[in-house]
Amino acid sequence: MPKSFLLLRIFSVPSPCFLACVMAFMVGSAWSQSTPPPLYQVLEGRKVDAETMKGFRAWRAGACDRCHGANQEGMVGPSLITSMKTLSKDEFVKVMADGRPEKGMPNWAGNPGVMNHINQLYAYLKGRSDGAITQAKVEPLP
Amino acid sequence: MKVSRWFSWLMFFAMIATALAFSPGAHANADVEKNIAKPGNWAMQAGDMFNQRYSKLKQINTKNVNKLQVAWTFSTGVLRGHEGSPLVVDGMMYMVSPFPNKVFAIDLDTQEIVWKYEPKQDPAVIPQMCCDTVNRGVAYAEGKVFMQQADSTLVALDAKTGKLIWSVVNGDPKTGAVNTNAPHIFKDKVITGISGGEWGVRGYISAYDINTGKMVWRGYSVGPDKDMLIDPEKSMTWTDGRMQPVGKDSSIKTWQGDQWKNGGGTTWGWFSYDKEQNLMYYGTGNPSTWNPAQRPGDNKWSMTIWARDVDTGMTRWVYQMTPFDEWDFDGINEMILADINVRGKPTKALVHFDRNGFAYTLDRVTGELLVAEKFDPQVNWATHVDMKSGRPVTVAKYSTARNGPDVNTKGICPAALGSKDQQPASFDPNTKLFYVPTNHTCMDYEPYKVEYTAGQPYIGATLSMFPAPNSHGGLGNYIAWDADKGKIVQTKAEKFSVWSGSLNTAGGLSCYGTLEGHLKCVDARDINKELFKFKTPSGVIGNVFTYEHKGKQFMGVFSGIGGWAGIGMAAGLQKDTDGLGAVGGYKGLSRYTELGGSLTVFALPN
Repeated sequence: MPKSFLLLRIFSVPSPCFLACVMAFMVGSAWSQSTPPPLYQVLEGRKVDAETMKGFRAWRAGACDRCHGANQEGMVGPSLITSMKTLSKDEFVKVMADGRPEKGMPNWAGNPGVMNHINQLYAYLKGRSDGAITQAKVEPLP
Repeated sequence: MKVSRWFSWLMFFAMIATALAFSPGAHANADVEKNIAKPGNWAMQAGDMFNQRYSKLKQINTKNVNKLQVAWTFSTGVLRGHEGSPLVVDGMMYMVSPFPNKVFAIDLDTQEIVWKYEPKQDPAVIPQMCCDTVNRGVAYAEGKVFMQQADSTLVALDAKTGKLIWSVVNGDPKTGAVNTNAPHIFKDKVITGISGGEWGVRGYISAYDINTGKMVWRGYSVGPDKDMLIDPEKSMTWTDGRMQPVGKDSSIKTWQGDQWKNGGGTTWGWFSYDKEQNLMYYGTGNPSTWNPAQRPGDNKWSMTIWARDVDTGMTRWVYQMTPFDEWDFDGINEMILADINVRGKPTKALVHFDRNGFAYTLDRVTGELLVAEKFDPQVNWATHVDMKSGRPVTVAKYSTARNGPDVNTKGICPAALGSKDQQPASFDPNTKLFYVPTNHTCMDYEPYKVEYTAGQPYIGATLSMFPAPNSHGGLGNYIAWDADKGKIVQTKAEKFSVWSGSLNTAGGLSCYGTLEGHLKCVDARDINKELFKFKTPSGVIGNVFTYEHKGKQFMGVFSGIGGWAGIGMAAGLQKDTDGLGAVGGYKGLSRYTELGGSLTVFALPN
């Protein structure tokens, strides 16, 4: 049977759910590698998912703004909007754990408020750096 | 028989007289007094024990200061904020740099470094210094130079050789208890404070024996009466229109639960001393955390002016300026002692320009509150100070506690930097006015909940600071203040906050440094007459000082932008509505200065 006949047969089924499933399946499997879940979810630039909220709270727990600026734009320490464009996840975790003592950045290994949510902090900062999260202060998704 | 009896009475009286001559009441410290009495010296950080920052030298004066030129310069070899100033004692100059706190002794004949002392400190201390790696200077007495290291170690060095005589650990940096203040010598004691209000450190002030470094007493700022060296019946405070005993547990009653144990009230500013009263004066910093919801109550005795007996540390009187702080208005600024007329009466006054924007005049003997007025008209968190209760009347709109955690309270004036921070003002006995370097900034302040972990920041608020709106457009003013009337008498607008300590001289001058890097001298009788201006290598946050060497007067100041001005202002000064970067104030300052670290010394041409 020609392929087109098969497709016609599939799409003649009226259920929208079925259609959606097929679409999702096609998108998900046929044209890409298996995609990881999104690093963060954001709506209207400032409403974020629960995990990213934890990242924001870790940012506050460390009072990182005192060196990196209230909106990660940089002060004594560099702009994280810029740095996060090039730091890998592994490099980020290492810098947080070891600090940059020669530049005055503490190591955060002894701060559970920060280190226990290091992945979420990474996600939050990546969201800021990507420009998807448009301001430092975020709130939960509705 | 008669003669010998007369003789023994004579001996008896001679002994009494000798004993009285050496009795504690009359002495400040003979060596320090001798040094500061010579106008050619600058033997204490403030020039004297009263914090007046006034020099009797007049070779440089209003008529010739325009001819001032650079005489010599010295690089400390260190960058970041250079606060305080060098000392000059009998032809030698002593100074300390920001971290790593290098101490230099320089021979003023040749400008050679006679000795240098660099302590070994763990660089892990650096990130615990909230507001830059500053050190506000050394002290000198009895052939020793005293330096308070960042890592809280206090050292006494031989002034001739730089050899270590004694050292004592004043705090535990693992908990965030580090130091930035200059030690002060009063009588036979080295007085030093502690930092760490942003780390939940419970503040204290300590006195060490000048010869041995042994701790003689330590007075905490909050907690049980005996820790604070407060006598519930004898330690007094202004309340209900008169001085009254503070009563039992005056601090603990004003904290919830155990919050006082991480209560702040640190002591990183300047200290002054009146030998007639045997009282030393200083102020305490903010209560910990910056989130007021976590510490309901007056939080006594943070934000307080203290008078302590210098021998025992016992508290004579206290006055709390900002009960239940909601804005980080540390009370640590200098306490200037001056004998002036207040309300028509000659008064032994204490004058203090607080972070909170109010200038206070108190009777330094009794602790009575005499004057409390705004020294920046933009101050809006309180309408006034009720003179009977001594308490500020706060404005609900600017109350970060009332608006609550996770709410951005907007447009509070002054910003947390205060109408004035640690940069010390001067008093001119000729004009009877105070010359005050001020900030003219406001802030949005959003508190949030924080957990305490020893050695970790315990802040609990995020801030955004900006120029005071609807004003002259600049971020600072230099003002002349009448502490009797509580009025600004003259004001000179400055582009940036005036973050340098001022100096007044018998030559009719009032001098200060600017964040762009200028040393400026104005006419003390008309401060808008700018008589001299010179751009030094970097922004000035140090204190202007002066000395005489071989008949020539010199005036000097450190350059080296930093401090909270350099950090907080340089980038914090923007209204960041789109979160995408610094505008305005930051770009402005960065057009004028980079980091630096040097001393510039000026004199008239030969």
